[in-house]
Amino acid sequence: MTQPAPASPVFWRFNPEVFRLIGIKCKDCSHISYPRTMICHECGSQKLEEYQLPKKGTVHTFCVNWAPPPQFEPPIMPVIVDLEGGGRYQGLMTEFGAPEDVKIGAKVEMVLRKLTTDRGLNVYGYKFRLVEE
Amino acid sequence: MRGKVAVIGVGMIKFGELFEKSLENMIQEAYLNCLKNVDKGIDPKEIKAAWFGQWSGGFIGQGAQSGHSLTSMIGKREIPCTRLENACPTGGDTFRHACLGVASGLYDVVLALGAEKMRDKPSAESLGGAGGGGGAETGNHPAWMIGQGGPAIQAMHATRQMHELGYTMEDFARVAVKNHHNGTFCPYAHYQFEVTLERVLNSPVICWPLHLFDCCPQTDGAAAAIVCRADLAKKYTDKPVYVLGSNVGTDHHQLWDRNSFVEQQSTVKAARGAFEMAGMKPKDVDFAELHDCFTNTELMNIEDVGFVRKGEAARRLKDGEFDMHGRLPINPSGGLKAHGHPIAATGLGQVFEVVTQLREEADKRQVKLKNGIGLQHNVGGPAFGVSVVNILSRSP
Repeated sequence: MTQPAPASPVFWRFNPEVFRLIGIKCKDCSHISYPRTMICHECGSQKLEEYQLPKKGTVHTFCVNWAPPPQFEPPIMPVIVDLEGGGRYQGLMTEFGAPEDVKIGAKVEMVLRKLTTDRGLNVYGYKFRLVEE
Repeated sequence: MRGKVAVIGVGMIKFGELFEKSLENMIQEAYLNCLKNVDKGIDPKEIKAAWFGQWSGGFIGQGAQSGHSLTSMIGKREIPCTRLENACPTGGDTFRHACLGVASGLYDVVLALGAEKMRDKPSAESLGGAGGGGGAETGNHPAWMIGQGGPAIQAMHATRQMHELGYTMEDFARVAVKNHHNGTFCPYAHYQFEVTLERVLNSPVICWPLHLFDCCPQTDGAAAAIVCRADLAKKYTDKPVYVLGSNVGTDHHQLWDRNSFVEQQSTVKAARGAFEMAGMKPKDVDFAELHDCFTNTELMNIEDVGFVRKGEAARRLKDGEFDMHGRLPINPSGGLKAHGHPIAATGLGQVFEVVTQLREEADKRQVKLKNGIGLQHNVGGPAFGVSVVNILSRSP
């Protein structure tokens, strides 16, 4: 199983999206996405502008993965989050007590965390945690 | 293309953990079975082109595969051959390309063959190589892709199906019970045993809400079909099966771009186009082989192809409508649940089943035919964004 190495082009290329959360918004259909692109994935328009993805949102869907890649302690919880103001972001939950605490519609926020260690280097990115209400 | 192409022979091997067989062994066996299946006989020299379905190529240790891999293995280096990879629909799309080859007028007789060795490596590696399994990467940034392989992606659909449609884990498990039952009647199935609802629900959780028995197994296999110009078909067989509709549907490559997680637009589009070409509606179909890589996926497929409205599949399954002798048998072969999923062989194995059923040669698993029309479907790839549907018929 081969992850891209932390020093590989994949990592620096997606830095703006992964760390500064820069995405794009289509001026024609309002679709929000990332990584930044020259053509809207939804409608094909080329009229796009950079868009700052918010860090907060609600859980759109999730699962509890008891068979994750070897370097992870199960369970891990992939989530797809409806971001405030539109668009979705995908990642892992962190700092949940029991998997049952995570539900569709739960409020979450992004926090910067170490995702994994690869060939001796740390890999960082955003994870989601539940927001206390 | 409607009615211009006919299937004159199909062949497959028993799917399973075939450690004793190489890719070449499986390919030759499926090819020879396919030649034998042409009941009036065919000289291999009459095959003028081939498409070779092969999904995994280099990344799970099968070595790089190309068109000539197939032609050299079957001793037919005189014909053109292209390798085709189109994710989980590779098999169904390889069949479609063979049909396009005939429909274009370029070739009279064409071979479609798909083969895959999945078991030489542990599941985590063979699926992980393509971002599958419990999940790895898809060549994208790991911040997004960690732990998001096939089971996790479908589990996230299942969670949403439970939320939006009121489906339950019992509803998903019923698909496994039905398909494993059907599989006990199919000599080509990898698994030929029954499972109970309790056994499915008590099996280990892979990705909640999906259990082990909600997932199809990892399997080796090969399957093939020979298609020809419809007006020549009777020369080769008394029981030609005609291709009336065939289409590929595509949707987003990234999960976060997708709108709905209870519907796969790729399937919706593939089916819509295939029915349009066939000049038919879903109600005209007698039975279907749908891509049940996971149990919840089959429920989604039944709705997305258009057989029932969104949210109705679970109840109708419970009522027995999709049983082998129900109103609309779904996966009478046992599907991927019982056969396993040797990616490029899967769709051609389904074509084998549809043709065998339409010729009324399916023995103990024979379904009742009314219109003599069967449907084959695959869906998969990143974000399940690609799907194929082929509609086959006894009459042109």
